Amino acid sequence: MWRNTPTAFGLTTRLLHWLMAGLIVALLVLGTVLVRIQPDLSTLWLYGLHKTLGLCALVLAFARLVWHRISPPPAPTGPPNQWANRAARAAHVALYLLMLAIPLSGWIASSATGLDVVIFGQITLPAIAPTSEALENAGFAAHSVLTKLLMALLLTHIAGATLRGLKHDGTLRRITKGS
Amino acid sequence: MRHLLMLLTLCAGPVWAAPASYSLQPEASVVGFETDFGSDKITGQMPITRADLTLDFKNVSASRVAVTLDAAHADASFPFAAQAMKGPKVLDSKDFPQISFVSTSVKSKGDGAEVTGKVTIRGVTKPMVMQAMIWRQKGTEAGDLSHLTIRLTGAVNRSDFGAVGWSDMVGDQVRLDILARIVRAE
Ligand code: HEM
Repeated sequence: MWRNTPTAFGLTTRLLHWLMAGLIVALLVLGTVLVRIQPDLSTLWLYGLHKTLGLCALVLAFARLVWHRISPPPAPTGPPNQWANRAARAAHVALYLLMLAIPLSGWIASSATGLDVVIFGQITLPAIAPTSEALENAGFAAHSVLTKLLMALLLTHIAGATLRGLKHDGTLRRITKGS
Repeated sequence: MRHLLMLLTLCAGPVWAAPASYSLQPEASVVGFETDFGSDKITGQMPITRADLTLDFKNVSASRVAVTLDAAHADASFPFAAQAMKGPKVLDSKDFPQISFVSTSVKSKGDGAEVTGKVTIRGVTKPMVMQAMIWRQKGTEAGDLSHLTIRLTGAVNRSDFGAVGWSDMVGDQVRLDILARIVRAE
C-alpha cells in the first residue's frame, strides 16, 4: 500500500505528490503576493510563512528523491519511446531540478541579506551564503526567473495530465486513486 | 516632563556665570530613533558611549556638545529591524561601531537652543541641526545646576550617509530623540 509497484504508485508517493502540489501552488501565490505588497508590521509574518513553507517543500523534494531510490516509481504507461512519454520524462526531471533550485535560491538570497532566516516563527536556519548584496540580488533574480519557469512547466504538466485523463489511459488515475 | 522645572536658558544669573563642563550619566540616558516602515514605524534605541558638554548659560554660543553613540549595540522594535540596521547595508556597525556628533555652533532659540554641528555615520560626515531643551533634574533645588537633563531632537536622511539598505521598504528619514542626563564636573 505505501510502496510503489512496477505498475502502481503507492500511497507514500501519491501523498508526497499532492502535498507538494498544494504547497508549491500556495508558495507561488504567496511569493507573488510578497513582491507586490508594501511590507509593514502586519505583513512581516507572510515572509516567515513563505520561508517556512518553502523549506518544507525543499525537505519534501529531498524526501521524494530518496523515497524513489528506496521504492522506484512505475514506468510510464504506453510504449516507452512514445514522444509524449519522453516529453513527460524531461518535464519531470526539470520539475525536480526546480523543486530543489527554487527553495535553495530563496534560502541563499535570504541568507545573503544578512538577516536571520527564521522558520516556524522560532527556528533560525544557518546562513548558507555570506552577506553580500551581489549574491542577494543574483539569488532573488534566480528565484524570480526559476519560479516563472516552474509556473510554465506546471501548466504543461497539468495540460499533459489532463490530456491523458481525457484518453483514459490510466496515467491520471494511478497518481490519484493508486491504480 | 511636568515634574521637571524648565530652565530658561536666556536668563542669566550669578550661578550660571561661567561655562561649566558636564559629563554623561550613561545609565540614565538614551538615544531614541524612529523611522517609517510601510504604514508602521520602526523605533529603537542606541546607547550613548560618551558625551562631553560645556554649557554656558550666560553666553549660550560658548556652549559645546560632543556625543558618541554605540551603534554596534543599537536595538530596534523587532529583531529583523535591529539586524538590518546594524548590517552592512545600513549602519555597517562592524566597520563603523560609532556614530558621533560635534557641535559647531549653539544659539539660543525660544525656550531652548539650536545646536548646529557635524554628525558622522558610516564614516561619512554631514552637517546636522538639533533642537535642545534643558531642565534641572527632578529632586534638585531651584538654582542648582549640578544635575541636568538635556533633550536633543533632530533628523537625518540615511541616504546622505550611504546607509541605503531596504530603502524600498524603510523610510529615508530617521528622527532622533536624545535624552541625556548629565552631571557637572566638580
Ligand atoms: C518551492 C519553494 C518555493 C517557491 C515555489 C517560491 C516561490 C516564490 C515566488 C513565485 C516568488 C515571487 C518572485 C518574483 O515574482 O519576483 C518568491 C519570492 C520570495 N521567496 Fe520564494 N519560493 C520558494 C521557496 C523559498 C524559500 C525556501 C525562501 C527562503 C528561505 C524563499 C524566500 C523568498 C523571498 C524572501 C521572496 C521575496 C523576494 C523579494 O522580495 O524580491 N522562497 N518565492
